[in-house]
Amino acid sequence: MQELKRKYVIPGDKIVDGNFRPLMNVIRIGNSIISTRIGIAEAGRDGIKVIPLSGVYIPRINDIVIGKIVDRSSLSWDVDINSCFSAHLPAQDVFGRDFSPARDDMNRELATGDLITARIIAFDRTRDPMLTVQDRDLGKIPHGESLRISATRVPRLIGKRGSMIQTIEQATQTRVIIGQNGVVVVTGRNQDGIGLAVKAIKVVEEEAHTSNLTQRIKVLLNVPDTTPAQPQVSPPSSFAGSAEKSAESGDIPEVSPTKSALQSVSNIVQQPASNEQQSQDRGEQEQDESSRRHPEQARPDASKFTDSSHYPSISPSSDATSVASSHSKARSQDDRYRKSEEQRPVAGDTRKTKTPVKGIHDRLQEHGKKEGDNR
Amino acid sequence: MSASKRSTIIVEHLRRQQMWDLIAVGKRLQGRTIEEMRPLEVELDVIKKANGSAKVKLGDTEVVAGIKVETGEPFEGLENKGALIISAEVLPIASPHIEPGPPDEDTIELARVVDRGIRESEMIDLDKLVLVPGKVVYTIFVDCSIINTDGNLLDATSYAVVSALLSCKLPIFEIQDGKVVDTGKTRDPPLTTIPVSITQVRIGNAIILDPTAEEEACMDARITITTNSESCYAAIQKGYTGSFTVDQIKKAAETARIKGEQVRAKLQELTNKNG
Amino acid sequence: MSQTKSLIDKQGKRTDGRTVGQLRNVKISVGVVKNADGSAYIEFGKNKIIVAVYGPREVHPKHMAQPDRCVLRCRYHMSPFSTDTRKNPAPSRREVEISKVMREALEPALMLEDYPRAAIDVYVEVLQADGGSRCAGISAASVALADAGINMRDLVAACAAGKVDDKIVLDINDTEDKEGGADMPVAYTPHLDEVTLLQLDGILTRDQFNQCFDTAVEGCKMVYEIQKQALMQRYFGNETEVKEEIQ
Repeated sequence: MQELKRKYVIPGDKIVDGNFRPLMNVIRIGNSIISTRIGIAEAGRDGIKVIPLSGVYIPRINDIVIGKIVDRSSLSWDVDINSCFSAHLPAQDVFGRDFSPARDDMNRELATGDLITARIIAFDRTRDPMLTVQDRDLGKIPHGESLRISATRVPRLIGKRGSMIQTIEQATQTRVIIGQNGVVVVTGRNQDGIGLAVKAIKVVEEEAHTSNLTQRIKVLLNVPDTTPAQPQVSPPSSFAGSAEKSAESGDIPEVSPTKSALQSVSNIVQQPASNEQQSQDRGEQEQDESSRRHPEQARPDASKFTDSSHYPSISPSSDATSVASSHSKARSQDDRYRKSEEQRPVAGDTRKTKTPVKGIHDRLQEHGKKEGDNR
Repeated sequence: MSASKRSTIIVEHLRRQQMWDLIAVGKRLQGRTIEEMRPLEVELDVIKKANGSAKVKLGDTEVVAGIKVETGEPFEGLENKGALIISAEVLPIASPHIEPGPPDEDTIELARVVDRGIRESEMIDLDKLVLVPGKVVYTIFVDCSIINTDGNLLDATSYAVVSALLSCKLPIFEIQDGKVVDTGKTRDPPLTTIPVSITQVRIGNAIILDPTAEEEACMDARITITTNSESCYAAIQKGYTGSFTVDQIKKAAETARIKGEQVRAKLQELTNKNG
Repeated sequence: MSQTKSLIDKQGKRTDGRTVGQLRNVKISVGVVKNADGSAYIEFGKNKIIVAVYGPREVHPKHMAQPDRCVLRCRYHMSPFSTDTRKNPAPSRREVEISKVMREALEPALMLEDYPRAAIDVYVEVLQADGGSRCAGISAASVALADAGINMRDLVAACAAGKVDDKIVLDINDTEDKEGGADMPVAYTPHLDEVTLLQLDGILTRDQFNQCFDTAVEGCKMVYEIQKQALMQRYFGNETEVKEEIQ
């Protein structure tokens, strides 16, 4: 196959003449392959495709997405997944096969306004996407700041083998969950760190297709330009360690390393051993983490823009990758990053009520009690 | 008939919690304080075919107001005054939640509240816009097209109308041989005051200024207060389904006077006009 | 339509100083409405038009959805201050007709079968009108649709030609429209060489028709260059070659 230079194209532009296979966002008209989108045209071993730079998220089976509960029927929740189709999460997925609306209260698990990480298990041209939260790392997201970016920029945000997002996470001491649908949740203890991470993510979205983006992000985050490999520099993998840091620097008053707090954490944390150890396991964990957290770039012609979206008109690629989010149980955000609940804003009142840390399932249970709004 | 409705925007709990946490220390998302308004930009004369026009950006909320001056019959009961008609439309381009169609109750309320502020403050001296008493008067149409929504349409629309009026040029009509004729000359409109609308919303126990769409989706109640150049109150409208305490209302009224002064100065600066 | 005064002077200059084959000044900006999925703003002479695209998105009411393709909805609307005399905000019959022909001009280029059970809404808002607003609207709508990432076979460019003082001229303005002899708006896809909108208002002989039609198509090609430039500028900063290794 002849080597074609990557090209910027708009709809209608001819990419190449000849007997090439149209792969994605291209069509054959006569003897030519034409782009149907604004994006970067690429020729690979398998054929010609255009990596789009704009467009709403079109669901794909096995994608991990972050959705917002917006409504419910008696048997399922309606979930906004930032796409043209509203998704459904069946109540049976959460309660089990013997779910009964009369006996089980859906609101106790998930209520309007909750954010969840879910996987798309069914979607085709005839029906709306169906979700599951049953896998590891899926479920309600208890903490974090959410933002939306264009779904077309998600691969760039993740970077080669997770490099971009890890750079951001390490420099800002945050954890970032990325949904394929462009919804991103940033969690961390340090409000400034979260703010900086959000800023960096927005820069990546805006400048995804430009060169030297990684350099500029590193400058923005004040990161030296060598890849940091030292385990100690990584974000708190043990609550104990980070709690001490907070006590020293005296930053956020809400995270106070009281004994009871630490104890409740160690009860809930699933893999206390790996959490406490910092150095040895860190390197390996990082590796595992990233491969679990970010989509594999398995394809031989993987480029900066991994093929991230398929559209109903093109038959889905057979190696649709199963993507795990960074919502790892061992590192549940709520284990380490406490946030006070039930606060009514009163101007000038800066006291915060402290509540014990909860694990993910505890939070799911408790949700019904939270004074959410009813709008 | 008016019926309760669901909120179109559902704000995530995490975001709502974040909002409350910040409000508790006097701050908001986007880094503002609860007493701060978003940056205000005014561009004048954007529609050359209109007699006056302005495009206002309050944060991301964007409104275009255009003025067309014609002649016509006076309103019944107001035979010796010019006619002023202010209307507004939230265009479907402005938000994914708008559907094209006749204006809904929110849009009609928006137009009427903006109108009330301009009319009751007597910003335009309508007595000076009569050609033939009881028969032919100037008719000033002010139409607003909202082109992007991010909360506080009430203030943004009001500022657009005020800016357009401050900068418009009235055609001078005359009666010649019993017919109305446009002389081709123009003059400044007879203005007496600069009304400024200030909208505040209650979230929990805090009253915040200039809400974004997200903040409006979390609000309990809203109050819009218009003051004139003498800092007198000209129009007030309480909105949404919650309530205010008496003290909250009084405090909001005071804030509206103080903030009104600041915004008035800004509008005068941006339109190079002194009311 | 009979003419009472000359619209082209002896030097061949029209009422706004253009020659018979000259397009008005056209400027297109992409991505101007923050809330929209795609948007564009166009100044076509004195026309000022904003187009916003929302979609693909869920269809409301649900029964309007089609099982195998997307529903395209198009609305052309003029603000009351956009015309010489103030226009009533309620949709006029003219706006309804223009909404329909605009939709029919854009549909052939869109790959609507890629988005079953969804809807794409195209809202064209005229803030200031000066003849040829439907062509300007279609041209901006194509750009907005591309900005929204809708699969398209080609862009649609539109331009009108007409007859003024018995001469065929390109891109007639408001005065020429009201007082001239014919007005022919055309929408055209430049790569596919397909005409998706064609209307005529006025009287043309066969030769005049051919000439007018060719002139309008040439105008469309000129508009296309401006559309392409606007999109490339917005997305690629005027680069045509992809830069080397992106880290």
